[in-house]
Amino acid sequence: MRFLRTNSVPALLDNLIWVLLLLSGLAFSLLTEQFLSVNNLVNILVHSSVLGIMVIGQSFTLITGNFDLSAESTLGLVAVVGAFLLAASGEPANGSGLMLHPIPTVGVMLALGLLIGAVNGLLITRMRMNNFVVTLSMMIIVRGLAFLLTQGKTVTHLPESFKVLGHGLIGPVPVSVIVLIAAFAVAAVVTQSTRFGRDLYAVGGNRDAALASGIDPDRRILHVYLISGALAAFAAWVELGRLGVGATRIGEGMIFEIQAAAVIGGISLFGGRGTMIGALGGVLLLSVINSGLNLMQVSGFAIDMVRGIVILAAMLLDAQKLRYRQPASQQAPSARLAA
Amino acid sequence: MDTEAYLVEMKGVTKDFPGVRALAGVDFRLRQGGELRGLVGKNGAGKSTLMNVLTGVYPSDAGEIVVRGKSFARMTTTLSRQLGIACVHQHSQLVGPLSIAENVFCGALPTGRLGLVDWDTVNREAEERLGRLGLAIDVRRKVEGLSVAERQIIEIAKALFAEAQVIILDEATAPLPKSDVELLFGFVRRQREKGVAFVYISHYLEEIFELCENVTVMKDGRNIGDYAVSELTPPALIRAISGVEVERFRHASAASGGRPVLEVRDLSRPGSYSHVSLTLARGEIVGLTGLEGCGKDSLARGLFGLEPAGQGEVLLDGSPYHASDPREALDQGLAYLPRDRHGLGIIGARSIQENITLPILSRLTNAAGLLSARKETELVSRLIALLDVVTPSAAQPIQFLSGGNQQKVVFAKLVSASPRVLLLDEPTQGVDVQAKVEIMKIIDRLSREQQVATLVISEEIGELLDVCDRILVMFRGRIAAEFETSDPGTTVERILRAVEGAAQS
Repeated sequence: MRFLRTNSVPALLDNLIWVLLLLSGLAFSLLTEQFLSVNNLVNILVHSSVLGIMVIGQSFTLITGNFDLSAESTLGLVAVVGAFLLAASGEPANGSGLMLHPIPTVGVMLALGLLIGAVNGLLITRMRMNNFVVTLSMMIIVRGLAFLLTQGKTVTHLPESFKVLGHGLIGPVPVSVIVLIAAFAVAAVVTQSTRFGRDLYAVGGNRDAALASGIDPDRRILHVYLISGALAAFAAWVELGRLGVGATRIGEGMIFEIQAAAVIGGISLFGGRGTMIGALGGVLLLSVINSGLNLMQVSGFAIDMVRGIVILAAMLLDAQKLRYRQPASQQAPSARLAA
Repeated sequence: MDTEAYLVEMKGVTKDFPGVRALAGVDFRLRQGGELRGLVGKNGAGKSTLMNVLTGVYPSDAGEIVVRGKSFARMTTTLSRQLGIACVHQHSQLVGPLSIAENVFCGALPTGRLGLVDWDTVNREAEERLGRLGLAIDVRRKVEGLSVAERQIIEIAKALFAEAQVIILDEATAPLPKSDVELLFGFVRRQREKGVAFVYISHYLEEIFELCENVTVMKDGRNIGDYAVSELTPPALIRAISGVEVERFRHASAASGGRPVLEVRDLSRPGSYSHVSLTLARGEIVGLTGLEGCGKDSLARGLFGLEPAGQGEVLLDGSPYHASDPREALDQGLAYLPRDRHGLGIIGARSIQENITLPILSRLTNAAGLLSARKETELVSRLIALLDVVTPSAAQPIQFLSGGNQQKVVFAKLVSASPRVLLLDEPTQGVDVQAKVEIMKIIDRLSREQQVATLVISEEIGELLDVCDRILVMFRGRIAAEFETSDPGTTVERILRAVEGAAQS
């Protein structure tokens, strides 16, 4: 008990996600036979890919003490714009008829994501607007644009070469899984081992101190919104490949799952704390719970409820972590004397 | 001993936090009928924890708290409030955008028939209540327009309206300009005459001697002595607090002549300072003092690019210098230690290492844009050793360090940028007596070993006399006087006269 009360508590709190992942995996493998099958485990990873990329973008904004609610709508708009440019006109394809080559299409998609990120970032940093208000409004506006473009129709008949990210296989391994792992690896290196990453933690940890240390906080905040927009566009590319169709409702309501995954993984809503690898753990945990409950044939409504509970638990944990640390911070000097 | 004679009696209070015993069987008493008791000790000695146990913020692990003869094994925040124990923190808990009257009634505004707030009653009653405490003040004024001293007085008044008998003042004067401290003390003394007991926590020992009747000294989670202030001398109290005699530090000048490193010529910013001229030579330490608002701290922020510098000329090693933000200042060789350590100096949640290297990450980056872990670790361990930061590891979040050690990390951060000029705003604020001496030694060593030109902005004139070659005094935005510390005629009294605006003789 004494051991548990000392250094292991913060360490446990920081790595709680892996313990939870292990426990939930264990529970589901006992409850259902299929859970541990290779097929299902690969499926869990495939289902994690789009969520994972979105979580990376969100985590960048969260680390600076901001967030981007509009990311889910950016995902939706970019997906339908991409599909629209690629597909033939008229029924059943419902595209623009441009039948644009996939390479310029991807260029347009990324540019659109960056544009939405730039609007968010500039309104927040230059106009000094609140990030909640700005990104909430953008979430509604951007989703509206997606509906206007397609009139609610689903765009189909996308070229195979475009769908390779979400749909392709390299040997037995789905490309989307490789993309997921690579994206988190790059994000982890950028946040932990570059000046840019350190700056983000500093801005989120104490904006004024970051400024006094020679960092331009507004510039860094603009950067994270650009990253969030670009990653939402990238996720749209993967998602289009996975689904094979562009639908206006892609990503709708996803923002809560995105934030929950990041926070469960240890990225603090208050800024300045958490790692990308932890966030990956959060993504995997949500996917494991989804998959396990599906295999147990729990009703969809109940799954939604469980998700709600998981999100609530994540926020509770984040708040408690902060509370746990406060008394400890006042005590540390004597801890040093005792050591 | 007769328990009835005490208003509050804490007996054998013990409190454990993960990995550390914060309080080890502490006894603490407050007399009935009013008392002014100082509570002193180094950072981390357990003062705040003891008061947090008294107010029920932390439950104690052992011991009892007796209030007016009634024993409580477990105190809660609600219970302590009912018993009339209140705490006024260093940082105001008042609601800025609301009026004084609203703050006085906060949570219990009197309402009229329709359930609407009866503003006439609110303002009249607030005025009357404050009047009874001898405070004549316009209660319609917003709290955000008040000085820090006025806010603290309103907070104490608020506690008194809630029938508080015991009021804890936790570092109440730390954010106060010296002129306002008297205002606060006068008010506290009057309330003590009416039978209120005050616990006064402070790092400023001269205030303990000025205000308190008794003092309790804590060290390493224990009460190591209750004294009547009249029986003590300042050196004796310092000895009790630190357990050792604190050496008095005396700087020997390392200034080299020749062209100054920093030269400020006729610099003016309306509302902050006017026609300021000063020079800093290599290895020279210059003190800058003056009343709150005289412009001394604005000058440092202006030079460092946190605020506009204004009109005039600034030369760095003979070339024109201008910084529109801190990055430009750092790149040209200026480093700044802010007065507000928590607000501007440190990023609490991040590690010591990350805090130190923040301004110089571009220098630790390799061709691929990645940080070199080896270079960073080497630099950080060298600086931790150089500045004698006490920590189990460089990965420790800085918020877990004591104030003095945090300040040393901030120094390490400045030194990492290899500055030519250091601007230090109240470098010893909020650190314990021993750490103050260590920080002065660091300032001295940087001037001697690295020939850094240093400007120390401080209201601690005694400290400036110990560490500086020259002391400049600002009054209403102008440099009003200059003193050579080697001159035997330079005394605290003469400097104080200049600080208060008397023409220099």
